[in-house]
Amino acid sequence: MAPKKKEEPKPAAPAAPKPPEPEPPKVPEFDPTSVTLEFTPEQIEDFKDAFQLFDRTPTSEMKITYAQCGDLIRALGQNPTNAEIMHVLGKPKPEDMQTKMLDFDQFLPIHQHICRAKDRGTFEDFVEGLRVFDKEGNGTVMGAELRHVLATLGEKMREDEVEQLMQNQEDANGCINYEAFVKYLLSS
Amino acid sequence: MGCGVTKSDQFHKQSGKAVTTIKAAVLIQRWYRQYVARTEMRRRYTWHIFQSIEYSGEQAQIKLYNFLGYLMDNFTPSSNERNLISHIFRENEVCRDAEWERYFSYENIEVPDIYSGPHLTFPLTVEQAFGLVEAFRNKKQLHSRYVLQLLLETWKLLRMLPNISRISTCHSKEITICGDLHGQLEDLLLIFYKNGMPSLENPYVFNGDFVDRGRDSIEILLILFSFLILYPGDVHLNRGNHEDHIVNLRYGFTKEVLTKYKLHGKRILKLLQKIFSWLPLATVIDQKVLVLHGGISDTTDLSILTRLDRHTYISALRPPKKRHMSSATASIDSDMDDDIWSANRMSQRRASLTYPKPIGTKECFHNRSLQDFSERIRANIEALEMCKRQVHAHAQAQDQAQAQAQTNSPISSSDVDSVSLSCESIRSYTAKDEWRQILDLLWSDPMTQDGCIPNEVRGGGCYWGPDITEDFLLRHNLQLIIRSHECKQDGYEFCHNRKVLTLFSASNYYDVGSNRGAYVKMGPDLVPLVFQYQASNMTRELTVRQSVGRTERSALKVLREQLFAHKSDLMSAFKKFDSDNTGFVPLNDWASAVESVMHLDLPWRMLRCQLVTCKTTSDGMIDYYEWFSELAIKGHKDTDHIDQSLLETLYRHRSTLETIFRMVDTDNSGFITIEDFRQTWKLLSVYLKMEITDEAISDIAVTIDSNQDGSIDIDEFMEAFRLTDKKSRLERGRSMFMVTATDLTKLEGDPNI
Repeated sequence: MAPKKKEEPKPAAPAAPKPPEPEPPKVPEFDPTSVTLEFTPEQIEDFKDAFQLFDRTPTSEMKITYAQCGDLIRALGQNPTNAEIMHVLGKPKPEDMQTKMLDFDQFLPIHQHICRAKDRGTFEDFVEGLRVFDKEGNGTVMGAELRHVLATLGEKMREDEVEQLMQNQEDANGCINYEAFVKYLLSS
Repeated sequence: MGCGVTKSDQFHKQSGKAVTTIKAAVLIQRWYRQYVARTEMRRRYTWHIFQSIEYSGEQAQIKLYNFLGYLMDNFTPSSNERNLISHIFRENEVCRDAEWERYFSYENIEVPDIYSGPHLTFPLTVEQAFGLVEAFRNKKQLHSRYVLQLLLETWKLLRMLPNISRISTCHSKEITICGDLHGQLEDLLLIFYKNGMPSLENPYVFNGDFVDRGRDSIEILLILFSFLILYPGDVHLNRGNHEDHIVNLRYGFTKEVLTKYKLHGKRILKLLQKIFSWLPLATVIDQKVLVLHGGISDTTDLSILTRLDRHTYISALRPPKKRHMSSATASIDSDMDDDIWSANRMSQRRASLTYPKPIGTKECFHNRSLQDFSERIRANIEALEMCKRQVHAHAQAQDQAQAQAQTNSPISSSDVDSVSLSCESIRSYTAKDEWRQILDLLWSDPMTQDGCIPNEVRGGGCYWGPDITEDFLLRHNLQLIIRSHECKQDGYEFCHNRKVLTLFSASNYYDVGSNRGAYVKMGPDLVPLVFQYQASNMTRELTVRQSVGRTERSALKVLREQLFAHKSDLMSAFKKFDSDNTGFVPLNDWASAVESVMHLDLPWRMLRCQLVTCKTTSDGMIDYYEWFSELAIKGHKDTDHIDQSLLETLYRHRSTLETIFRMVDTDNSGFITIEDFRQTWKLLSVYLKMEITDEAISDIAVTIDSNQDGSIDIDEFMEAFRLTDKKSRLERGRSMFMVTATDLTKLEGDPNI
């Protein structure tokens, strides 16, 4: 009997040439010198004020820690993800966050970069995002589900953060009217 | 017909949904983090506002004090102004304790039958102490007879205590340490509730600033003193910078006592003055942990602090008279003292208290303080020589005087001894050095950079750095410094590599929800365990957002008042930027002008949206006339005829004005004569370097002395001119913001929160 022609064990790659998986786009390291600043002098003055508020050096050396950088950018009205912040800071190690400092001139290009980023998310986007959880399509989401999602998915929030966010938002049935919720969140 | 969705399609749909879900989650999370950051920012600048105003008030008090001291030294003895204030600079105390005991006698004070408060009998029992706490919780007031009795017992005890208490932990006894209480009885009751009352098994250290600002300062003192008397080995009190009658004049304690004890308040205050001076300066636990109120400096030396006579420093703001050298001749003839020492006093008093100046570079500070120091040394040596000569001369004169006249205080042998002893001790360090040690101990604040610079923000003590801490701990073989003096949002804060712990026990200090309070428990391992709390049910019900919102509104209100009070100066500053007189200034100039007048170092640009609600033009120009009209504070109808700029002056300097009134009110009655009132104005006009005409003063005096009896009620005056707004945050006390639970619902619908 002729040996059955064994099919060669298929290699891990599927028979049909699979389109090469797109490599995760090689994100270049953030280069602050490549950023052109487009802020007006007025804006820069505003940023200076805010920067000083976060500056905890007693002789106002105009320096903040890496850890504060994200907060400052957010306080100025942007809403980057933590990943984006880490990226512009040059992926610092966790222990550097409290010790390494930034001065105002180093801060500006970082802030500019974040400001330019697309896809900031409008009110509508936000509402759309929440609508995903609106099982019954009636304008409310279950508080419990939202809590769960926020604590387990994406850039996870801690329990106390979730609690702070949702404090006093749920009605007697544990539901949240999300349009009102978004308005509340955005109006601080 | 297909079988519907293929498996892979379904898979894609689900994974598609998962992706959307994740995206949604990330979106929400991003927004949440932004919201937190913005809230944090608001909290920070609100805090900054309150703190700036608080510290600039302290600075103003010291400035005023310096100024009055200057007057004392430079006015001729017969001038009216000098007479007005000389009593606060005079050590009009008699040496001997027997005379004091007579003065503070309570035996003649009768307790009426209708009195429903607690009765005390001595020796005090635990039940009575508990009863006192309960009574105060129920808003009762202790009768002045018992107050005086309790204070006398306290004084007797404190006199026997050393400057630095040394205590030990053991396994069954953890020590509890509390920070500033500032008259907030609720917080003390909360601590006792959570941690138990003081007892043999439950020792406590209270780290100063029991009084001022809150409204139950005297009650707190009475409770602490009761437990001190009951358990002298297990309750320890450290003196704070507010245990000082000069500071109390401004920050409300004096007023509180006079209001609650109309008949005997003056006596109570005088006795408290002595008690404060007898409070120990620091506590050391297991020879390793140092507990003191303010902090240290590069010259702090525990051995000096251990040896000095702490009770000679009645007010930490006041350098000592060379009393221990002249104790033989003290004070019944104080006028003579004044003239002899006045030349010295000026150089003494001026040199050490730091003056408020714009903060320069670190280098120039160091230079300046070193300069100061060497000048002071020089001055001290000269003064020393002069004093020695004069003591001798004085002693001789006294001998003669004694021989002829009948004096009430013959020199006792102990006095003579103390004179020669003091001469001895003076050789090693001067009274001035000692005083500076105490000032630094009670007023200093830590900073993050190395070094030691004068504390210009407060006006006394210094800022000390981590290197100073290291050095100090090493020198004294200690491992931790626990101090208070600064309000912290979480009630506590470590710094200097966790070698310094700040502890603050007055929650909601700036406003409801502004901060938590904390206390610390420590066992033989000497590891501090922090416990936090926040008084008032209401704060728990408020969300963080509502809390921040309220505090922010309250801070802005205070700030607006301050801005309005400086209207004329702001106007001139704006005009400098607006040379064409258009009535508009660009935003940047507005911010610079405001800072140049207010000196509060606040982020004005950021605060602009809150402070300037009138429209700005499209190119960001601010109409400053309109701004002022929106800030305007309405005057009282009775005061319409009074010059606006004078009113503005009154308003701006109201704390100073009130302080001067209380200083002038020598018998602490709450009333001053019209004549003294006029003199006060003269004093104020010299201090402020402004012209206040006699007419203007008469106008005011006439308006306010409504019953024409020749005397003016200080409180009425301040209220009539809206100078003390009952709801004002500058004068501590419960404000309209302390609403009840039902009102809380109103807040929830409030879109402004």
